[in-house]
Formats: sequence, C-alpha cells, structure tokens
Amino acid sequence: MDAIKDRKIRKVREQLTKSFNTILMALASLLLLSPMIWMISTSFKKAIDVFTYPIQWIPTDPVWTNHIKVWTTGDGFAMFYLNSLKISLVLMIGAPLLAAFAAYGFSRIPFKGRDAVFLLYLCLMMIPQQVLFVPKFIMFDWMNIYNTHWALILPGLFTVFGVFMIRQFFMSIPHEISEAAFIDGAGHFRIFFQLFLPLSKPVLATFAIIDFTWTWNDYENALIFLLDKRLFTVPLGMQNFMLEAGVDYNMMMAAATAGVVPLLIVFFLGQKYIIQGFSSSAVKG
Amino acid sequence: MNWMKRQRLIGYVFIGPNLIGMTVFMLIPALFSFYLMFTDWVFASGQPPRFIGLDNFRMMVRDDLFAVSVKNTLLVLIPVPISIMLGFLIAVMLNNRTYFQKTLRAFFFAPYFTSGIAIAFVWMVLFQPTNGPINAFLRSVGISEPPLWFASPDTAMYAVLVMMTAGGIGYNMIIYLAALQELSSEQLEAARIDGATFGQLLRQIIFPLVSPTTLFLTITGFIGSIKGFGMIYAITQGGPANSTTVFSIFAYKKAFSFYEMGYASAVSWTMFLIILFITLIQWAGQKKWVHY
Repeated sequence: MDAIKDRKIRKVREQLTKSFNTILMALASLLLLSPMIWMISTSFKKAIDVFTYPIQWIPTDPVWTNHIKVWTTGDGFAMFYLNSLKISLVLMIGAPLLAAFAAYGFSRIPFKGRDAVFLLYLCLMMIPQQVLFVPKFIMFDWMNIYNTHWALILPGLFTVFGVFMIRQFFMSIPHEISEAAFIDGAGHFRIFFQLFLPLSKPVLATFAIIDFTWTWNDYENALIFLLDKRLFTVPLGMQNFMLEAGVDYNMMMAAATAGVVPLLIVFFLGQKYIIQGFSSSAVKG
Repeated sequence: MNWMKRQRLIGYVFIGPNLIGMTVFMLIPALFSFYLMFTDWVFASGQPPRFIGLDNFRMMVRDDLFAVSVKNTLLVLIPVPISIMLGFLIAVMLNNRTYFQKTLRAFFFAPYFTSGIAIAFVWMVLFQPTNGPINAFLRSVGISEPPLWFASPDTAMYAVLVMMTAGGIGYNMIIYLAALQELSSEQLEAARIDGATFGQLLRQIIFPLVSPTTLFLTITGFIGSIKGFGMIYAITQGGPANSTTVFSIFAYKKAFSFYEMGYASAVSWTMFLIILFITLIQWAGQKKWVHY
C-alpha cells in the first residue's frame, strides 16, 4: 500500500514541477518574443499611442493606416518585396541543385584530385565575407554586373555549406542501391537525377529553406553591390525607409512587421524541416 | 586506365559547375584581395596599385579606429558565452521537463529565425532614450536617469550587447536540444536515482556529456560575432563617435567610404587572422574540458 502511495505522491510532485517549469519557460519565451510582439502591436497604433506607459500590448484604438502607407507610398516597399522574392526564389531553387550536383561528385565518384578540391573548399569556408567584398566590388565593376541583381544572384548560387550538407546526406545512402542501378545499365547522370534527387528531397528542402532565409536577410551584399533604389531588397529598402521615417515609430514598426512576417510564415510552414536542418547541420557537421 | 580517365571526366562534370563558381566568386577574389593588401591602391584614383609591402599594417596599428575596433570586437564576444549558457538551461528544461515542448521550442527559436535588419530597428526604438519602452520601464522602477543607449557613445555598445545576446539564445537552445536528445537516458537516470540534486546533475553529468556541442557553439559563436555587421551597422553606422565600430565596420568604412582598397584589404585579412587566432586558442584549450 505504502509503495503505491509513494509512487502516487512522487507522480503528483513530478507533475507539479513540470507545470511550474512550463510556466517559467513560457514566461521566458514571451520575454524573448516581446520585441516582436511590441513591433506588431505598435504597427497598429496611432503616433500618439506609441510610447504610452504602461505599454499597450493590445492597442486600444487600432488602425490600419500605417500598414497601408508602408505598402502604398512612393518609396516602393512593394518593389523591394518583389526584388527580394525574385532573388530569394531563384537562389532557393538554383543553389540546392548546383550544390547537389557537386555533392554527388564529391561523395559518389572516386577520382584523382577530388580530395584536394574538397580540402580547398574547407579552406575557402574559413575566409570571412569581408575579405571578399573589396575584390568582388572591383570584379563586378569590370564584369558590368555591379548595381544589378546578378551581383547577388551569381555568387549566391555557389555555396560551400550546401555542398557539405548534401554530401553528408549522400554518403548515408547505401552503396547497394546505386550498384544495383549500375548493373541495370544506368550511368551516373541517371542515378543522380532518378535516384538521388528524389531520395534527398528532405535535405534539399531543408537547405532550400535555410538558403531562402539567408538571402532574405542578406543586407551586406545588397548594401555593397546595389546602388539604385529600384533594385533594393527588403533589408536595404527597410533601412532606407527607417532613416526617412525619422521619428514615425509606428510607421517604422509597420515596415519591420512587413519584413518579418514572410519569415514567420516560412517558419511556421516549414518548422519541421527548419529545426531539423539547423540541428543536424551542427551535430553531424 | 581508360576507365579511370572516364571516371575523372565524369567527376569533374559533376563538381565542375560548382567549382567554376567557387573559383570565380571566392578563390580569385581571395587571391586578389591577398595581393591588394600589400598595395596602396585607391579605387578609381587612376593610379595603378603600387607595392608597399607591410606599410598598410604599420598604418593600421597607428590608426585610432584600429584600437577602438579591436576593443569593440572583444566586447561583442561577451554575448556568446551568456547566450550559450541560457540556451543550455532552456534546452535542458525543454528536454522532458516541461509540457508543450514543441510549442515552447518554436517560441524560443522564432526570435533567432526572424532576427535581422527589421528586428534591429525594433531594438533601436525599444531603446529610444526619452520615451522608449525600456527606459519608461526603468523609470517606473525608480531609475530616474536611465542610460541613453544608442544615443550616447558611452552606452551604445551595451545596447548592441543586449540585442546580440537575445538574438543568439534560440539557436544555441536548438543545437543543445538536438544533442541532448541523442544522449542515452541511462546515464541521466542513474544520476537521478543516486539522489543528485538538479545542480549537480547539470554540472557533473549533463554539461560534460554535451561538451563537444559547447565547443562547437563557442567556436562558431565567436566567429559569427566577430564577423557580425548588418544589425549593428544598419542602426548605428558604427557611431555615435565610432563607439560601435567593430572590425567588420572598420573594414567596410575604409573600403566603401574612402575607397582605400589596399588598406581595407589589410584590415579585412587582419580580421581573418583574429578569427583564426581565437579559433585555434579554443581548439587547443578543448583538451581541458571537452569529453568525447
């Protein structure tokens, strides 16, 4: 009897601790989310309500005008959006494909010089972007792609990280599968397109999503290689907008909301892939 | 022999497209910039690059901005261990010690995932010195003269550090959580039955078990912090009075405000050396505390 009672007490105690922990963690996560919550709520406020204290987490008198203005005034937030979408989508499709192609060569075709090239990739990964900005700026000027979207798209197509991530996955595909296909007379190209690409959909999707967020958030390349306002991507257009907005904080928050919401949508739609992708890239890498 | 040649050809066909891209957009620029750092070249000056040996480095050491940016670059390392520690504690909690684990995980990860220029501007407004919510809160708890944050050279860096700490927690949490989920439950159970307190369990069992992850996070975290540019530059442009100029902003200004391409290359390669140095120190120090 006592043993059963003991177990019951222990279970109740465990449940209590667990509930307490849950509340504690929920509060902590709200604290971290609070800038974003404040951003969204402020984007619906009138100018006069922005800094009222205690903070209005839910605006007493919500308005849509900030959002409407952000999207319709001459500064062309819609245009920044189209530019960003264009670049991000091209890279989201192109970069994983090119990386997968190389990853197959690095993992499934043994040939002389392969490991030397791979070592070179490892070295290149250590060089910070900042080292490359100056020479790229000069080269793009010579190549006549400075101040065009090509300056962001072309270099973005080639990622070391993507090759690593997909190579890792390809190495886990059993050799028996490709050997069986070889015996059936298939070459490397058929095996790659008809066997490996379909098999690696999850890892390709994961990388595509990570790459999309990188491109979407990429501020530095846009800052250095784009000059014309009509070419600006969201981060650069956003900065431009913020500096012009001055003290129109509610407008600024509406613009920030416009920049963050697509990422939030991508996050909640692809949560499984994203979290898996980020964790596996670190633990196995 | 014929087969080997064929194999080699197919191999290069597969890695070729990527290799060409890497060569054009990474290898050649890297070599080009390596050459530039020994020259005094100014973009669009009409003068060809002149070889000046290590003069750029001599100039850099005497540059006022150099000392400032080294100091600030060391400061931005502070958020790394803090956000790693917090990420670790949260991950331990979310690993079977709470309800709604998946929802909480998403809540903690979302701020990291969405962090960028937009969120940087949110922080700027939150830190607004006269009426901003953070200072309004500080006043309401009795601090009559709260810091001016981004508006003052003395405090701008603190605001940057808060912003960076908050941004890093979610990532560290997700990586620790993945590592914890791969641990065997036996080791953890054994400790619990032995009557270890939660603190002992954390310090003596869990932390050593995930020490390879901690090493990974400190190395990549420090590298990321040193390279960090956008969120700081977008709101402060390195100011006020250069108080938030970190190394990457130093290099950027020399290149794209003054077009001193030779000098800027020297600055950016110095940044690479700092990264390499800090990484090597950690790599060498791991024997003392990392258990595989």
